[in-house]
Amino acid sequence: MRRAFVLALAGMSVSLLVLEWGAGPTWGQEPIKIGASISLTGTYAKPGKYTQEGYLLCEKEINDKGGLLGRKVRYIIYDDKSDPLTAIKLYEKLITEDNVEHVMGPYSSPVTNAASTVSEKYQKVMMASLAATTSIWERGFKYLFMTISPAEVYLEGLVELAAERGLKTIAVMNEDTLFAKAAAKGAIELAKKRGMQVVFHEAYPKGTTDFSALLIKIKSLNPDVITGGTYFDDAVATTRQMKELDVNPRMYGVTVGGDLPEFYQLLGKTAEYVYGSSQWEENLLYPGIKEFVAAYEKMWNHEPAYHSAAGYGACRLLAEAIKRANSLDSEKIR
Amino acid sequence: MMAGILWLLLAVMGGLAVLPLFASGYIISFTIQIFMWIALAGSWNLISGFTGYVSFGHVAFFGVGAYTGALLVTQAGWHWLPASLAGCVPAAALALLIGYPCLRLKGPYFAIAMLGLNEVVRALVSYFESFTGGGSGISLPPILSIAPVYYAMGGAAVAVTLLTYRIITSRFGLRLLSIREDEIAAETMGINTSLMKLYAFLLSALFPGIVGGLYAWYSSYIEPLGVFPLLTTITMIIMCLFGGKGTVLGPVLGAVLLSVFQELVWARFLFVHQAIFGALIVAVVLLMPRGIMGVLQERYRLPRTV
Repeated sequence: MRRAFVLALAGMSVSLLVLEWGAGPTWGQEPIKIGASISLTGTYAKPGKYTQEGYLLCEKEINDKGGLLGRKVRYIIYDDKSDPLTAIKLYEKLITEDNVEHVMGPYSSPVTNAASTVSEKYQKVMMASLAATTSIWERGFKYLFMTISPAEVYLEGLVELAAERGLKTIAVMNEDTLFAKAAAKGAIELAKKRGMQVVFHEAYPKGTTDFSALLIKIKSLNPDVITGGTYFDDAVATTRQMKELDVNPRMYGVTVGGDLPEFYQLLGKTAEYVYGSSQWEENLLYPGIKEFVAAYEKMWNHEPAYHSAAGYGACRLLAEAIKRANSLDSEKIR
Repeated sequence: MMAGILWLLLAVMGGLAVLPLFASGYIISFTIQIFMWIALAGSWNLISGFTGYVSFGHVAFFGVGAYTGALLVTQAGWHWLPASLAGCVPAAALALLIGYPCLRLKGPYFAIAMLGLNEVVRALVSYFESFTGGGSGISLPPILSIAPVYYAMGGAAVAVTLLTYRIITSRFGLRLLSIREDEIAAETMGINTSLMKLYAFLLSALFPGIVGGLYAWYSSYIEPLGVFPLLTTITMIIMCLFGGKGTVLGPVLGAVLLSVFQELVWARFLFVHQAIFGALIVAVVLLMPRGIMGVLQERYRLPRTV
């Protein structure tokens, strides 16, 4: 019995090994290697996956057009489990073992904050595609670049719109983490500047699933606007629970969450009339967007989110920088 | 046999001492994390492996140490090494505060209290925002060389292991083990069990405090969720049980084997690695409940003090 168990376990491992190795792509000689760690599992798995897909689409497109500096580009992507400690280890691995030329950022501000110290140490360029908190950039790193707009302005559109419509009171809640906090802070400052009254501001710890106490407090204040500095899971939960508790503000908006296609798939009608904040939308009229969306849907069989676009864009930006510098040297790319 | 093990250990330590001279940053970084787990699992072993009082909140000492170290570096301008060492002071103070009342209770109360302690400390750290940065965390200056952290973390791992050896070969260690086997009998023999448990608890809190400070410096960024996760406590427990609780080398073996295993498996099988990991732990608990060291001690008639 014991032997059979061990054998079964061993057999399972071996067959999996074969499967994974067999699937690896084959490439010509000496591609330009670009590394990244992305949260494919853990709390940031959903937006993390979109980012990864953006990176991979960009890799494919560059290679279809003949590569970069005459060489193919190859992405090496690992999973950091949404854990900064793992990300540090992985960026060490990417830079010292896999010998990547440059790195792309991981998903989320806390992970980027930890991981960027590694790329900085080795003087490798890091295109941080999805870290929006300004404090990361206040550390004075030389090789770190930001591609999306700072967290503080995520809710700017919502607050501006509310102020224009003459709405008076606003309640703000946020997850107590780097990015969400900065987004909420930005919203509050802008609201005050526009003469709105901030009637409520409270933070909840990451991983909270029951928001009823918070929402009932907000309901009793009856604000015109409710907004939240959120990630995906908490955005879904608050939206659903607002419906259950019949909290009905004139306007309601979140940061991350409302912008992902899954938000609507999970919530259905409840997701209507929720303002999301996005760094990018497919109906914006920038050149190349239609092509991007088409290529993305063809490759992954679902529509992109702004995280995909940010990942893709950051990757194209790095490629452009390398092309213009005509070199892989960090100093020249900067 | 003992001499053989001793030589083997010396050879391994000699190899580890020169490792940073030639190994890649990844290997060094990976080894630092193994050292960290050895020190943490070994510390957990001191209270829970010896006395049987399971601490579900040991990460609280780690987190308190991390915040102490980070604040001393960023606010008071200390060098990182003394700042990390200072992490053991608040950790021990916290242990005294919670251990003095709770270790007098028998049964599961201590375990529950420790579980709560971690949540309370994390909430406090998040709450005193002006001091600790709250959810935004604290950014430390980036480190340019990880070799010094490597030696410091290695030193902590060795110190915990030596301390465990020192305890297991002492009368103090025997008293602790007697508490684990039968607390009432131990009391009848004239052992002041509350005091002994408190001593063991204080010792077990010291090193997580120091390691926490080193972690803050190593990762250069800490936030409440990153340094107070329940998962860290659970990992300590699993590593210690896997290697063999109440032994000197058990936590070392547990930390090394599980870290290496995770690294190899998880990189290849993203989504099934947790299932494989779980199957492994279940297999070990069912097939060798006293851990690897327990099996080795029985089969090769090793002394109890290995």
